Amino acid sequence: MSVMKTTRDVKGVGLSIPRPDGPDKVTGKVQYVADITPRGLLHAKLLRSPHAHAKIVRIDVSKARALPGVRAVLTAADIPELKGKPASRAHAVLAIDRVVFAGQPVAAVAADEVAIAEEALDLIDVQYEVLPASVDPLQAMKPGAPPVAELGTEADLSEAMAHSAVAMAKGETPTKAVNVSQTAHVKRGDVAKGFAESDVVLEHTYRVPMVHQGYIEPHAVLAEWDRSGNLTLWASTQGSFNTRSEVADVLGLEENRIKVIPVECGGGFGGKIRALCEPITAILARVTARPVRYVMTRREELEAGMPAPQVIIRLKTGVKKDGTLMALEGETVLESGAFSGTVLAVSAVFLGSLYKWPAFDIKGSEVLTHKPSVAAYRAPVAPQSIFAIDSQMDALARALNIDPVAFRARHLSKPGDPMANNQPWASMGAPEVLQKAGAHRVWKEREAWKKGAKPGTLRGVGLSLGGWLGGLQPTGASVKLNPDGTLSVLTGQVDIAGTNIALAQIAATAYGVDIDKVKITTGDTDVAPVTGLSAGSKTVYTVGVAVLQAAQAARKQTFEIAAAELEAAVDDLELVDGKIVVRGVPGKGVTLQSIGKKGNLYMSKVEPVIASSHPAFSQQAPAFASQIARIELDPDTGEVTLKDFVIVQDVGKAINPLAVEGQMQGGAVQSLGMALTEGLVYDDQGRLTNPSLLDYRKLTAADLPNLETVIVEVPSPAGPFGARGVGEPPIIPAPAAIANAIADATGVRLTEAPLTPERIALALARRGAG
Amino acid sequence: MRRFEMILPSSVDECVKALATHGAGAKTVAGGTDLLPQMKNGLVKPAVVVDLGGIAALKGVTNGAGLRVGACATARELELHPEVRKRYTALADGAALVGSVQVRNLATVGGNLCNAAPSADMAPPLMALEAEAVIAGPKGERRVPLSAFFTGVRQTVLGADELLVALVMPAPPVPPEAGLYVSGGSYIRHTPRRELDIAVVGVASQVTVQNGRCVKARIALASVAPTPVHATAAERALEGQPLTPERIEQAAGLAVEAAKPISDQRGSADFRRHLVRVLTRRTLTAALARARA
Repeated sequence: MSVMKTTRDVKGVGLSIPRPDGPDKVTGKVQYVADITPRGLLHAKLLRSPHAHAKIVRIDVSKARALPGVRAVLTAADIPELKGKPASRAHAVLAIDRVVFAGQPVAAVAADEVAIAEEALDLIDVQYEVLPASVDPLQAMKPGAPPVAELGTEADLSEAMAHSAVAMAKGETPTKAVNVSQTAHVKRGDVAKGFAESDVVLEHTYRVPMVHQGYIEPHAVLAEWDRSGNLTLWASTQGSFNTRSEVADVLGLEENRIKVIPVECGGGFGGKIRALCEPITAILARVTARPVRYVMTRREELEAGMPAPQVIIRLKTGVKKDGTLMALEGETVLESGAFSGTVLAVSAVFLGSLYKWPAFDIKGSEVLTHKPSVAAYRAPVAPQSIFAIDSQMDALARALNIDPVAFRARHLSKPGDPMANNQPWASMGAPEVLQKAGAHRVWKEREAWKKGAKPGTLRGVGLSLGGWLGGLQPTGASVKLNPDGTLSVLTGQVDIAGTNIALAQIAATAYGVDIDKVKITTGDTDVAPVTGLSAGSKTVYTVGVAVLQAAQAARKQTFEIAAAELEAAVDDLELVDGKIVVRGVPGKGVTLQSIGKKGNLYMSKVEPVIASSHPAFSQQAPAFASQIARIELDPDTGEVTLKDFVIVQDVGKAINPLAVEGQMQGGAVQSLGMALTEGLVYDDQGRLTNPSLLDYRKLTAADLPNLETVIVEVPSPAGPFGARGVGEPPIIPAPAAIANAIADATGVRLTEAPLTPERIALALARRGAG
Repeated sequence: MRRFEMILPSSVDECVKALATHGAGAKTVAGGTDLLPQMKNGLVKPAVVVDLGGIAALKGVTNGAGLRVGACATARELELHPEVRKRYTALADGAALVGSVQVRNLATVGGNLCNAAPSADMAPPLMALEAEAVIAGPKGERRVPLSAFFTGVRQTVLGADELLVALVMPAPPVPPEAGLYVSGGSYIRHTPRRELDIAVVGVASQVTVQNGRCVKARIALASVAPTPVHATAAERALEGQPLTPERIEQAAGLAVEAAKPISDQRGSADFRRHLVRVLTRRTLTAALARARA
């Protein structure tokens, strides 16, 4: 994209500017949905199934309805919109006659107080007939496994579409296995021949359990109807227009009758893309004709949120002694829970595309189980897929005694190389990122550092490389000049990652004013330009273009007004310190303030400066990160101590380096949690055994070392100022980096995340005994 | 959280009367760091909550011939108390591991014990220090050795009308007053995460040494049985012996036999047995080093 040059450097793109909303957030002043308390507010609670799979024989709500302070108690029978087979999790508002995961809502209460609503739940009597459950995805694929979906359930590809992740041929003939809801297959060359000619063949099965996104603010929504039948939702969402569409679809409402107000969102990471509790809250508000608020508890989040899928990947790889890649065979199983919706193709394509395998054959299956259905989690299935392929590359390099970075660099795909789906790799900086990581002191000095290990401890250094193709979605933005010469930027884009400051910086530079003259607002669905999800690392990449184009158009309008006033050609004008002047004639000029004023003056003939842009996109910008972990390991307890952690990432262009570094660090912390401690653990009945943050372990500050960030800038052709997506790449490499560091320290290759002390200590004890 | 009635007694007698009136439907609350999450998650639904915060007799740590720890002394108080850090080191270790600093500022020793989780970090150190529980009831006060205090998971000897008032324990001998006797203690636990976690296994050891031989050894284990337990065979094997690395390793092996762990979301039985050996060895070694220090 060509960028109009401003006539003077303004304070905008490239500056590290702290998020203006930061102080209010850390001091607790920001209002979230749970803080909004309109007059007459009622509180909602849901009764959830304790069983993973059961028939609902009878529900008696009479005692709950009789409790003073209770305003509504609903079951599926009370809601006319609920009929038959739900098309998605959002449609499964309340279970009709069968529950398909533990935690599925079966009844809803609205009451004057939360405590009354909870007491009402105790008074609802549900008789279940417990049915056998499919809990393990590999078992669920076998004939005779208890079926999860009704027959004929279609694959839900909307998550994959939302992320515009990869294009690929649809799965072959739909398989007959009862719980397999989606398949994928990519293939090139002769794999059998490749293995036959290989000197070294390695086969491992990698497993990453379901993990929860761990946003600080749980799902929350406030719903209120007006007398004309219009619904307003104050929502914690990653995409207000998507929330509007899904709620409209479930309730059978016209979209323009729903206004979604995106309230400050306390984190989403992919878990707040799809609607979850919005429909039932809207229905309770309609039935009671009162505003109703529903805030999920942390326990509900863990038991009945929308976590990331469990991913099981078997990889078999063959290489020559000299390191030549020969063949890769892969089998990916994604556990989707009770409803379809994983980005299956991403996993298959990544396994076959990152390195140049002359022959590969990768099959993928999405499997339904009696667990909560899954959703995206920051680069969905990429950390899990990279855990497999990067661990495998590291193991091959070690087996061949080749430098792990040189081995990866030799085989790494470059722009233009074909991906597994035969599309060419777009412009990307993976080679530059790997080169930079390989040259980092923490990697270079690893052997010397390892020699300093204290007696009784082991030291290891691991490196890995991963990336994300980047999402696309149409969007829009408008820029207007105010009567005092300031700019207002309007989008519908939810700011979950500090993107609004970056967008404002783009507007400042593109228009030609300092950032302090720009204010950006996220509007509701009634007033804002239509826009996509804040997901897929695409907010700055796509909305940034809309803002850039709108600001450039506003600048053009402004210059045309000035040209008429100054009787000069537009090309002879320049914008200096808020004043448009004729080049070479410093005295002759007109201020932005006066142009802004004239656009809003009684009887004025000057048009106001308001420009908008609403682009759609076709060119993705893959973005890569490499991470290096220095660890110390206690071989007796298996405890891993992170000593240093380095994040090297290609961001194209850092619009706001401070915000970019924040994304790199935050992503790394989530990635390290996935690597070391996190996992939803289910018993053999499909019930969650760790439904609290005590036993579902996110890392704390005490577990983390200094996180060093290294920004690499390989400009993207289509992003604003060359920017690439930043949010997702840093969550991808750590599980492999940690596994590689453990292998470096101990010689033992662990393939099952999280890489807990127990797994490490018992593996070392087994090796000692054997 | 369900609605409940709150009672605010200002003396032990008032509290015992309130408990006698409301029976098993009442729960006492001190710091609330165990009770409140349980109530919020609907795991317990008490009709009556008796707040112990206004009872002065439950507070404080008193150092004399031995140590008296009020049931409402906080973990943070014990962690920072100079005398506890000097002479009751295993207790200081255990107190310093509870929750996080914010939790320790609220959490009390009485709460940690009466919650009766097998993983309570302050239980093994107090057992190794041979503490006794001072219990008040309608008929007056009684004392129970802490080793006999726990009767099962989340179960203690406390009657519905009884209240834990304090823990009392003898002072471990230290020079110069004890002549050649020296004593040291240590508590170490394993958790996957550094803070805000629960012991997968915790081990407390207290050893007293005279003329190079162990005259008393107390080893208590957390999270390996329905209650915290003593590793009695390991204790006997050490007493009368010099605490050589070989003896310590033998005792660590015997401690594993005292463990009857289950597999759960926090760790498998195999890993727990493995940890009992590792942590018994480490706590005995640390306790011995502290005794000599």
